[in-house]
Amino acid sequence: MSNKLSINITNTFKRELKRMLSRPIYFISTILIMTFTYVFFLTFFNQGQPTKMPIAVVDLDNSSISRQFSRNLEVMQHINIVMRLNSHKEAREEMQRGNIYAFVEIKRNFDKEVVSNQRPTITFYVNDAYLIAGSLINKDISYISAATSMAMQQKVLRAKGVDESRIMGIIQPIVLDTHLIGNPCANYGTYLLNVILPGILQLMVLMMTVFPIGVEYKERTTHEWLRNSDNSMFAAIIGKLIPYTIIFTILGIIGNILLYKYMHYPLNSSIGWMFLATFMLVISSQAIGILFIGITPVLRDGVTFAGLFGTLGITFAGSTFPIEQMPVGTRIFSNLFPIHHYFDIYVNQALNGVEIHYSYFSYIAMLAFLVLPFIVFYRLKNAAIKQNFPIK
Amino acid sequence: MNIQLKMPLLKKAISISLDILTVIKSEFRTLFKDRGVVIMLVLAPLAYPILYCSLYKNETLIDVPVAAVDCSRSQESRELLRHIDATQSIHIASTYSTLAEAKQAYDEKKVHGVVYIPADFSKKLNTGDQTTVSVYADISSFMYYRIISQACTNCVLDMCNHIQIKRLNANGITGESATILSNPVPYEGIALYNEGAGFASFLMPAILILILFQTLFLGIGMIAGTSRGENRFHVLVSSSVHRGGIFRVIIGKSLTYFMIYASWSFFVLMLIPRAYNLPHIGIPFDIMMLMVPFLLATIFFSMTVSVFLPHRETSLVLFMFMSLILLFLSGVSWPQYNINGFWKAFAWIFPSTSGTQGYIKINTMGADLRHISFEYVSLWIQTFVYFATTCWAYYWQIKKSIAKQMNESLPEEIFV
Repeated sequence: MSNKLSINITNTFKRELKRMLSRPIYFISTILIMTFTYVFFLTFFNQGQPTKMPIAVVDLDNSSISRQFSRNLEVMQHINIVMRLNSHKEAREEMQRGNIYAFVEIKRNFDKEVVSNQRPTITFYVNDAYLIAGSLINKDISYISAATSMAMQQKVLRAKGVDESRIMGIIQPIVLDTHLIGNPCANYGTYLLNVILPGILQLMVLMMTVFPIGVEYKERTTHEWLRNSDNSMFAAIIGKLIPYTIIFTILGIIGNILLYKYMHYPLNSSIGWMFLATFMLVISSQAIGILFIGITPVLRDGVTFAGLFGTLGITFAGSTFPIEQMPVGTRIFSNLFPIHHYFDIYVNQALNGVEIHYSYFSYIAMLAFLVLPFIVFYRLKNAAIKQNFPIK
Repeated sequence: MNIQLKMPLLKKAISISLDILTVIKSEFRTLFKDRGVVIMLVLAPLAYPILYCSLYKNETLIDVPVAAVDCSRSQESRELLRHIDATQSIHIASTYSTLAEAKQAYDEKKVHGVVYIPADFSKKLNTGDQTTVSVYADISSFMYYRIISQACTNCVLDMCNHIQIKRLNANGITGESATILSNPVPYEGIALYNEGAGFASFLMPAILILILFQTLFLGIGMIAGTSRGENRFHVLVSSSVHRGGIFRVIIGKSLTYFMIYASWSFFVLMLIPRAYNLPHIGIPFDIMMLMVPFLLATIFFSMTVSVFLPHRETSLVLFMFMSLILLFLSGVSWPQYNINGFWKAFAWIFPSTSGTQGYIKINTMGADLRHISFEYVSLWIQTFVYFATTCWAYYWQIKKSIAKQMNESLPEEIFV
């Protein structure tokens, strides 16, 4: 019996391989798109953080102190002074044109006010419409501004004869020491690619589950498909999807290797757990794909569902904006996306390196998706036999 | 003489407009008859903005739970922790006596960060030495890390200021001069255009443009794939239409899409930002002026690509993933300035890049048309180039169609 099943599966498998070679879409939407995705994102985020972003200085004082300040700014990692302008208005317009992300304004008589203890203010304007650029630049300019104050305090205290060992205690009584757990350099590639690459993988898996099954119904070749598997619907579906399971698992594992071995992104656990998570992501997405095409065995609707679900999944993974802080109900809803559980495994295993038992639930949750195809199993089978559905 | 010349011209103009009207009418009919196309061109552009805006409605994080490890157990440490707890963005969910216990809570995801105050904290503060407070922050989402480190920095700086003045007093610097010396060069960072550093205000404008672009692109691909799959010769433009000339077909079709998407643009780009309180300081007229070339460029771009799509599902299967790529290419999250030359050039091919940048500059940053001349001119160039490619592609299709018609005597099965 089981021998018969394996023969049926092998027959469907072989038939599917032939079909895959018959149209370019099969090659494009598996290997080509995933390769393009990997090449694109790895070359796109080759720097960990955006560096040397253009800013301007409006130096109305033009004294040695203000010039020293600009020179100090130049050494910072994220900023690059590309313009020296003469008015606030001019600088604001450059910002609106998108030529600069921030500008620092040093007012007239800045040096005189410093010397005469009048506490002149350094004002800088940051464009937070580009939030990432804005917050990195803000950090750098704040740092230099604070350092300027500290240097001045140090000079005055020395002049007043305060003991050198006491000076740091006065200038900076409490030092804040911030550690980022798992990603010490705040690398954006680490943060984004660990979600985006599997995100695109699950989208393509969904598509390439709905498409190969749906196209049989659309082109009314279901009788031949079933005949090939000796009228076993189970074998017909399994045999059809195994090639994609293999291809996408290999592609996903290549993605893992690229991230953790080639890019050396944080991996504080065994890479085997990520391989397993990738495999589970592939099969759970396939299960959802079967559900989508099973609801209405109409290819066009199945593909639309899969596309909308797949793109939403990336939001519901919860890396960009935490799910916890989204409206109530979203948290429960997010569990319906396999990529959400994959992301949990990544955070626990690769990023934080906590013990594996914290991730058992996520693996089991992904396994649970495999129940879904049984809901539509008879619907698919009946439709395949009777062909009683609209093809449009 | 004059009248004689005018008559045929007028007649021609009328006949052209009538032809275009026929194309528009038939396009509308095919469009609304098709459930998939209605989902893509009507439902998605209306529902998606609402869905995403609702998900990202909380612009920033509120009361992120963190753990405190207070080894000092002093008045000063409790004061600092109280201040941290009082911030809007984080709250101290639990207090532990060792870092190991806090790590356990972190591993269980009960907290997203840990504030550690060492045992000698209060002693060092009293002896005038420098002390350290450590913060460990979750970086699984950058939002957590930013919020936690910002709140802690503010509270620590505030406390530093008070201590500084006391210590200056102890060193004989008192009164006004102590206040001045505690902060000789104050600085003020002003966030423009997104004052609250809100996540939705930052990302949603880009998503809105991309929703318009992707639905229009995929929808046109679906329509083209369908007409190709359904007409007898498996070509895009059926032979009955082409007698009117390709221009009439292209103009009729593009006008149809343009009319629909002009209204969607108004809804998505003008009403949604107001309803969800996203930035909207731009001049509506300027947004309208930008949308004309953006929609036209998108339509012609999509019509050109659609010629190469053999089936209606092809566009969805092959191009859905581009939504993410286009989001990054638009240069909103990863700054445009830091995108390398090759991808920058690649990004320029897609009208969504200039559309996004132009819209953000006008709508979020209050720029006017002369500030976005690069984007504006780019979109018009794309409109003309893609119009030309559309004409060429349709011409090529019609030639194919005629060639196939010549072989009409062949049995139909061959084409199925």
